[in-house]
Amino acid sequence: MFRSTWTWVALAAVLLAAATVHWAARASDQRLARRLLAAPADASVRDPALLRYARLRAQPLYREHCAVCHGADMTGNPALGAPNLTDPVWLYGKGSVFDIERTLLYGIRSGVPQARNVTDMPAFGVRGLLSTADINNAVQYLLQLNRRPYQADAASEGRQVYERKANCGDCHGADAHGNPDYGAPDLTVNVWNSGTDPASLYRAIYSGQHHVMPGWLGTLSLEQIRELAMYIYSASHGGG
Amino acid sequence: MRTQLIAALTRRPQRAVVLPALAALAGVLVAALALFRTPSAAVTVVPPGYVALVNQKGILMSDFITQTSTETAKEFEQTTPEERRNVLREMIDEELLVQRGLRLDLPETTTEVRETLATAVTRQAAEPQLAQPLTDAELRAYYEQHSRDYETDGSMTLRDLVLHFGGYQNIDQSAAQARTDAAEAVYRLRSGDSVDYLIEHFGFVDSGRVYDGEQLEFAAKLRLGPTLYPIARMMSDGQVSDPIEDSDGIHVLVMQRRLAPRPVGFDAARDRVYTALRAAQSKLTNQQNLQLLRREAQILLAPGQSQ
Repeated sequence: MFRSTWTWVALAAVLLAAATVHWAARASDQRLARRLLAAPADASVRDPALLRYARLRAQPLYREHCAVCHGADMTGNPALGAPNLTDPVWLYGKGSVFDIERTLLYGIRSGVPQARNVTDMPAFGVRGLLSTADINNAVQYLLQLNRRPYQADAASEGRQVYERKANCGDCHGADAHGNPDYGAPDLTVNVWNSGTDPASLYRAIYSGQHHVMPGWLGTLSLEQIRELAMYIYSASHGGG
Repeated sequence: MRTQLIAALTRRPQRAVVLPALAALAGVLVAALALFRTPSAAVTVVPPGYVALVNQKGILMSDFITQTSTETAKEFEQTTPEERRNVLREMIDEELLVQRGLRLDLPETTTEVRETLATAVTRQAAEPQLAQPLTDAELRAYYEQHSRDYETDGSMTLRDLVLHFGGYQNIDQSAAQARTDAAEAVYRLRSGDSVDYLIEHFGFVDSGRVYDGEQLEFAAKLRLGPTLYPIARMMSDGQVSDPIEDSDGIHVLVMQRRLAPRPVGFDAARDRVYTALRAAQSKLTNQQNLQLLRREAQILLAPGQSQ
């Protein structure tokens, strides 16, 4: 009888302890959830507990909504022009949580006015704006800019194409460092969304670039969008 | 110990009834309070992530930061409180106007709002299609199918003579007689007689469809119409057409000078073909979008109406 009573007491104590732990964890989660949007976007990643919380919650969201284009390992898909999210190179903005969140909210060329959609990379070859030789020369110039093996004469011609014939600098800048306001990538850091080899570079210039990303506002909550933004920011800063 | 506990609970048997009854009564009271209270789900605190609530409609903090940066051309952190206040006031004003516009049902009544909405929906539907790069093969196939659209501008200088019949001017002339006269007139012209001779002896008049002097291809096409233009298009300098019957009588075309349109090669036309194919793709996507919307819609037409 005595032993049986103490068994019940011990069981009740264990249940109580488990409930307390669960309640404490839930209360902590609620506190973190409240802080998630209360903090400015870029300040949120400086809070380790908040970052841990966001990353944990963002992983299933990423798998469900983002991995299909950007890959389960977040390294992108050149066939779709979906960028690698684990490097520190960004098409739009400077890669801050705010910039990433903004892209997640409204997307790229998603059809809503707030979406990222300032300009397109023209299809220089298909439209007949540049000849095959022009494009090949431009590719050699890009290889030179990225300190990869290149043909000097062709690269010199390619520079003329870049600066004069195709006016690439209008979007990518005279120094080819890109313009994050236009979504024009930096052409000097050897990061290419549609493939790295010269043939891929040729195709990108020949056929142009007009990639689309959906906006998630309305599908995901603001909290979920912030969590994803922090997760992606973290991945691009070595925390994937 | 268990025996003692059971004994304590059963000492007053009415407690087993009273306690559930009290709980039930409390539940009924709570339910009644919830039922008769004024339903008010209004949020009185701006939720995180928003900068303001205007009639319960949120303005996103992200939009506020972006708009402030855009309007002031500064990083948000560098903007002054006064600048932020101005921007927020503008955004709230805009939200109020939009909400007022919706209450006034502007999408239903105002042409510009309807057009803007229709354009936005069309564009949204077309974006994924435009994301697919075009290939040379697709471009060339489109060019071949629409080669007539890729020609240099032609021109023509011609007379368009018409012999009216059956109208008030030639009430006595039968159609058969008119056809015979026209055939004779064409024979005369081809034999060297002048246009003036035809006018004088057969009663032909200038149709008034074309002006004196050279006309660009598109203008001639527009003026001559679908019956006469295809014939004029194939004529050369000095040629006289056969009699052509149209709605207003029998026409005879006399081509004085013809500069035929020349085809523009594929490579020279690439850019135009690209633009035209993209436009055609957008149009097709829009049609498919509308088909989908029509399938899902309930459209009733009044008696006697068709679409």
